[in-house]
Amino acid sequence: MSPVVNWIVAILVILFFLIVFIVSFILYKKTPPPKGCEGMEPSDEKCHGCEQEGCHFNLYYNKTSMKCTEKKNSDKTEENEKENK
Amino acid sequence: MANAITAFLLAIVSSMLIDNVVLNRFYGICAFVGVSNKVKSAFSMGVAVVFVIVFASLICWPIYTFVLTPLNIPFMDTLTYILVIASLVQVVGLFIKKYSPALYKSFGIYLPLITTNCAVLGVVQNNTDTGLNFALSMANAIGTGVGFLVIICVFSFIRMRLEESNVPKAFRGVSIALLTAALMAIAFMGFSGIIS
Repeated sequence: MSPVVNWIVAILVILFFLIVFIVSFILYKKTPPPKGCEGMEPSDEKCHGCEQEGCHFNLYYNKTSMKCTEKKNSDKTEENEKENK
Repeated sequence: MANAITAFLLAIVSSMLIDNVVLNRFYGICAFVGVSNKVKSAFSMGVAVVFVIVFASLICWPIYTFVLTPLNIPFMDTLTYILVIASLVQVVGLFIKKYSPALYKSFGIYLPLITTNCAVLGVVQNNTDTGLNFALSMANAIGTGVGFLVIICVFSFIRMRLEESNVPKAFRGVSIALLTAALMAIAFMGFSGIIS
């Protein structure tokens, strides 16, 4: 097989797998999530003030190893101190 | 036959403990450190990784042997594997989304995250680069996946204990986690040499 034919075959194979990926991606996105699993993506609005310490998206939890309640308490004390000043 | 079964089992043990994907080959460190905060999430991630590694090896080995090699384009292996793994994760996610809400809830965000886990690509690439046959490739995939699951669960147990202990401020979080991982890697070096 000549090198040119080789490259054409390689490009065709990659195109085939690329099409398979695009189709599977579109199908995945179009499939609705089951009930109770809607909106599982993290967002600042939903995650802000979240009380679930085990949640992987908890911003306080990911930044430090402190529990988020402790972090929030320390934040509150800092805010109170600022207000007092 | 007995020799083949022994080789299969030894390959599983070897890739699980001696040649561990995280502690020996340093693949999948991002998921290992990032998702080991809680035991539940670590277990979900580990199970999802086992699932994808086994299926990816099941598909990629025949593609390399029966498609890429006969067409004389084995140099396209990495690109092909990336696309196959990405497609596989989407398809598996689609089926779970559609037919198993309970599994979807437990896997949650972890299934799409596996697309970026280099451990999956590393195992598949290793299978074909070292010229393993299909059975040994599957043994390698199963052992690697289970090894990842065991390590991430053990690591999350240790991290839970660390949260309760008085860690110096400078070491809190990822620093102490990486030190723990280093100590675990040294401990796992003890397994080297058990299979001659």
